[in-house]
Amino acid sequence: MAAIGAPTGAMDLRGDARRRRKETRIRRVFQGAAVFSVIVSVLIVASLLGRALFFLSKVDLSALWIPSRGWYPRRGVFDIPTIVMGTLVVSGIGMLVAAPLGLGAAIYLSEYAKPRVRRILKPILEILAGVPSVVLGFFAITWIIPNVVQTIWPEAGFFNMMGAGIAVGILITPLVASVAEDSLRSVPGALREASYGMGARKRTTTMKIVVPAAVSGIMASLILGLSRAIGETMIVAIAAGASGGSAFKINPLEPGQTMTAAMTALAIGSDQVRGQEGTFESLFFVGLVLFFITLVLNIVSERFVRRVRKKY
Amino acid sequence: MAIAARGPSTADVVRQHLQGRRIDYKGALFQAAILVALLLSLVILFVLISQVVRGGIEVFQERGFDFLRGRLTVVSASIAGVGQGIAGSLLLMAFVVLAAFPAGIGAAVYLQEYAPDTKLNRFVNVNIRNLAGVPSIVYGILGLVIFVQVLGPLTGGKTVMAGGLTLAVLVLPIVILTTMEALRAVPGSIREAGFGVGATRWEVIRSHVLPAAAPGILTGTVLSISRAIGETAPLLLVGATTGLLATGGSGFFESLRGGYTALPVIVYRWTSLPNEDFRALTSAAIIVLLLLTLSTNAIAIILRNRYERKW
Amino acid sequence: MTVIRATGFRLLFVALALALIGSACADQSGAGDTGGGTAGGGGEGELAGQVVVSGSSTVEPISVAVGEKFIAQNPGVDVTVEGPGTSDGFELFCNGETDISDASRPIDEEEVQACEKNGIEFIELKVGIDGLSVITSVNNDQVECLDFHDIYALVGPESEGFESWSDANELAEKIGAGHAPYPDVPLVVTGPGEESGTYDSFAEIVLEDIAYEEQGIKEDDPVIRPDYQASANDNVIIEGVGGTDTSLGWVGFAFAEGATDTVKLLPIAEEGDDCVEPTPETIQSGEYPIARDLFVYVKKESASRPEVKAYVDLYLSEEGITSVNEVGYVELATEDLEESRQAWEAQETGTRESS
Repeated sequence: MAAIGAPTGAMDLRGDARRRRKETRIRRVFQGAAVFSVIVSVLIVASLLGRALFFLSKVDLSALWIPSRGWYPRRGVFDIPTIVMGTLVVSGIGMLVAAPLGLGAAIYLSEYAKPRVRRILKPILEILAGVPSVVLGFFAITWIIPNVVQTIWPEAGFFNMMGAGIAVGILITPLVASVAEDSLRSVPGALREASYGMGARKRTTTMKIVVPAAVSGIMASLILGLSRAIGETMIVAIAAGASGGSAFKINPLEPGQTMTAAMTALAIGSDQVRGQEGTFESLFFVGLVLFFITLVLNIVSERFVRRVRKKY
Repeated sequence: MAIAARGPSTADVVRQHLQGRRIDYKGALFQAAILVALLLSLVILFVLISQVVRGGIEVFQERGFDFLRGRLTVVSASIAGVGQGIAGSLLLMAFVVLAAFPAGIGAAVYLQEYAPDTKLNRFVNVNIRNLAGVPSIVYGILGLVIFVQVLGPLTGGKTVMAGGLTLAVLVLPIVILTTMEALRAVPGSIREAGFGVGATRWEVIRSHVLPAAAPGILTGTVLSISRAIGETAPLLLVGATTGLLATGGSGFFESLRGGYTALPVIVYRWTSLPNEDFRALTSAAIIVLLLLTLSTNAIAIILRNRYERKW
Repeated sequence: MTVIRATGFRLLFVALALALIGSACADQSGAGDTGGGTAGGGGEGELAGQVVVSGSSTVEPISVAVGEKFIAQNPGVDVTVEGPGTSDGFELFCNGETDISDASRPIDEEEVQACEKNGIEFIELKVGIDGLSVITSVNNDQVECLDFHDIYALVGPESEGFESWSDANELAEKIGAGHAPYPDVPLVVTGPGEESGTYDSFAEIVLEDIAYEEQGIKEDDPVIRPDYQASANDNVIIEGVGGTDTSLGWVGFAFAEGATDTVKLLPIAEEGDDCVEPTPETIQSGEYPIARDLFVYVKKESASRPEVKAYVDLYLSEEGITSVNEVGYVELATEDLEESRQAWEAQETGTRESS
């Protein structure tokens, strides 16, 4: 108790030493956890780099970039454009499915659904998010391809990138919807009311006021979805059809090879052919390429998100 | 009165516009479109589940509990089961909960509540976002190199411990990001009220911010758990058994460093078996896997919805 | 605020507790599993220890089937069987990480040296035969027999782009294939992916000699056309072949034999018209030309451990070796089986097969 009349000094505001020490300790612990996430990145790169470099030292570098040769690692044919194109086709189809479905569902749940309807529908959507990718792979070959893809395009084979892409889209739809819906709902009600007050309609308010206000979250949802689509492995390994290797394919109705499926094929092993030196190590190189693709994607989007982010 | 003959009065026009009598076709169309988007997702879920149940229900009718206890094998469908898969998946989950949750929530609290907006911290943020987008199979490589090879003496090589730690690292960024999102949603005024009465930052976080953000954090951790249960690709790299597994005499702690398998790995392996009998088993295994992931999800969703609040 | 605080932390706590309870249950269900095994075991279940088998994915089902029988008798033993592939298997084996290595080809020289370097001695045991079937749709009545040159003309490296059987006529003529000209019907080729042992065996047995020695294809270049539908799933190959009337494909004999309502197994001749139908008998006798031997390699050091010895004993016993048949491969001729048994009896190390 400071004596009456004595001025309150800086010492009184600093709190007692024990509390401050505790504060510092806790801060350190949390900081350590945050630093760990950086360490993980370092470990990933370290895990990939050594053997990726070994791979590069074993192959003819110019041969890595000759489209149309195909990806046949066990014969020493490593053509990166083949698997990059496969990845683009599959994740592109995935986004074509997931972006409208996911964002549509998010906008409906956040802006249109009555609270009671929302309380029922949203959990169901979240349940869809819990469906493991290996299950969707099974679903792709037992239902999507025979009943959807081959109905629309009878010429499609049993395995194709279209079926895999649709399944990937279904996989990431709840992710897109969930993240986008959260950000739509975090837009303050006052903005909507102001818009209605100006005489705007529901759709105008939604598309011109709420969605732009939540754009950072919506971008984040699409980027998370795309990252997941690019990295999705099991669906493609099961349904896209190219197991060990593949020719350069663009037509989504044909079987194709993605980077992730190529890695799985290498990881699972081969019955007899080991391939030459460097074949297994190509797994690490592809992993490194994938890692940097997602890195660039995220840095670009992060820039964008930071520029338009508004704080409420 | 001449004015009235020329048409509706200004007042009428204004009233009509304010009342919005004209039907908003575009608006209705828009609403219908997004409703269809939502319903389509739900229909897909329904088709998927009915498809799997139709394919696998006979296994439960014929084998019942026996299927849930049966071991991993790829030859005799009559004795094959998911017992070891369930055990393995639950053990992997335990590693995720024990390793990834404390670290993830801790990192999120630091980044959201403590870290000043410096270049370094922004880098850490971007880094975590990027980690969340790193394909799971790349985490499999990390697990193979770090937990299986480098830390082999500790984990025992291709063991459930190596698998569990790999999955923990895999979901870490998801836990961090969703927790940060939840913390961000807590209004600054709550913190300022805490500081205003002289609480330290930790005291404010512990007693106000974390509790307020708990439902959001819970959603994130639950999504990450269900993701971990369903992950297959990294486990193929860190050595989940796919052929035959028998853990005869090992006790609990020995089995942490022994061979293991997991439900999704079994599903993947059985999907590619030629034997017709295994198709029904695959569907049955998927039913178990879905029950596990979906019930985890459902429990948390119910809990969260009970405590959800909007600022 | 206190209400929120209490509930918030309780939520997290409940989540953690649930997960922990879950893992505790996991332990119990694991224990229950082995408990069930014990109940089913016979009186000799005294063995403990572990048997680690890896290697060929082709041989894996045999080792798993034997393993199933073994566990039923010896519930106290840990058994793992995996099938990453013959080469991967030998790498583990020669590093001393496995007791037994399954192989769908004999160990090669490099691998023998790797084993020697690490002081690993092994006992080589032939256990069965895998026939490969060339298949077409059961509805295809246009083709009755093919020889190796026919197959080369239709699926070899120079056949890339052929969309009809008759596209291969010119090539077939040139290389002297026995059954040209072919009908002018669509040609859809489906087969295992190149990571599969069936791909390699097919290439090696049927196509490599023609490609490298007769046609001057550069050594180590692929000998199968790249534009075919590849699948790791034998079911899908069968469905793919069955799906088009004039398709062509190849797959392990076991799978083809089990799907004769969908696919037709083509008789094959190495040369000319002596077409041999694939049957267990013709494969066993070596008359059917596309077949390979299956082996297990046992580490000598491990062979002295009672649980490994018991496993291999069972493998070669009447009860064990019928597994070969049960999983769809062809059993060895009696004298070959006897040879394997003697090699095991005498603990005879080294390879007799390696080239």
